[in-house]
Amino acid sequence: MIETERRDKLLRAMLDELALAGYEEASVERAQAAAGVSEAEFGVEFADKDACLFAAYDHLTDQVVARASLHCGHDKPWPERIRDGLEALLEELASEPRLAWALTRSFPGIRPAAYQRYVELLGRFIPFMREGREYSEVDEELPGEVELLAVGAAEAIIFGEVDAGRAERLPQMLPEILFSVLVPFMGPDRAADEMRSAAASI
Amino acid sequence: MAACCAESGYGETTVDAVLERAGVTPESFDSHFAGKEDCALGALNKIVSDTLAQIAMANPLVGDVADRRKFEIKAILELMASQPAFAWLGYIESRQGGTPRMHDAYESGARVLALMMERAGDGVGERSGVARAALGGAEAVVRRELAAGREERLPQLLGDFVYAALVPFVGQREALRQAKLAEMVSVEEGNRGNDRD
Repeated sequence: MIETERRDKLLRAMLDELALAGYEEASVERAQAAAGVSEAEFGVEFADKDACLFAAYDHLTDQVVARASLHCGHDKPWPERIRDGLEALLEELASEPRLAWALTRSFPGIRPAAYQRYVELLGRFIPFMREGREYSEVDEELPGEVELLAVGAAEAIIFGEVDAGRAERLPQMLPEILFSVLVPFMGPDRAADEMRSAAASI
Repeated sequence: MAACCAESGYGETTVDAVLERAGVTPESFDSHFAGKEDCALGALNKIVSDTLAQIAMANPLVGDVADRRKFEIKAILELMASQPAFAWLGYIESRQGGTPRMHDAYESGARVLALMMERAGDGVGERSGVARAALGGAEAVVRRELAAGREERLPQLLGDFVYAALVPFVGQREALRQAKLAEMVSVEEGNRGNDRD
């Protein structure tokens, strides 16, 4: 059994390998060396490279969701909580561009089973969106998929920046991303007000 | 190629597996394609040209921009539902799993669709990147359905997609009205299909 600190280092090193070398060339041996984990210890914990990569991805996504949700408490109106959660998420991705690449680009592209994990990651943000329905300017029920439409809008912008090697720019894009998340729930005028407010606070 | 990628991903797809699935000889493959990537790009070109053809055929000669967008979105959803492996290759594999050239092909297609969506507002309320983000929202729903093997459900979500495409430009009230109209068109067409059966 590898203790938590070295296990975390190993998982992190595997994602670094994936981001830097790609799936085929990602080396378990280099990750083990970086984390100070022996082959025997690795064998006890993981069946193979894939098992370690999937565990690393699950660990990373747990962290990303936890940090974003930490800032989505219940002491503020929903649009502000979404802004705070997004801000935390963007700062985390900007501070770790390699992990952002592994999160959005290298891991989901391994094969369909890995892509399924990415779909599940996006789905984990849906519960944070539901309250947005209460902010609609119309009485009618909003479309059933409006939460995923909002999450996917943010993902498209984030993915575009990470893909272009500009992850460090993400915090500056908070107003634009916030608008795209809020607009299906609040309409363009009120979403634009929130966007201007976020721009003023940067 | 598309079916193999949908099953195993581009990285783990081999030319041999494609040949076996298609019942094609290596000589025949070599006479058409320079290699695996070239074949995947050929499949991508096919889904792009099929999509554009479907849009052109679906486009009504009357109505405003929003009307035309409804028919175009409907045509795309129906195409994806009927060709899920090509949809996987076009929307998922080329974006996150394929080669840089496949990725470029995906980006070109996405830019064309985003430009179409921007025109839905007739110039009202246009903001840089808004259409791309709205398209991203719709794509997230498409990808979830494809990953779950529920592609047949996509045409039933027409109203959701119409709403996503229009709301940044025309506001919630008008986007919802157009979404409901789109759903009515779908239901009417479904009923006509049932009557024919």
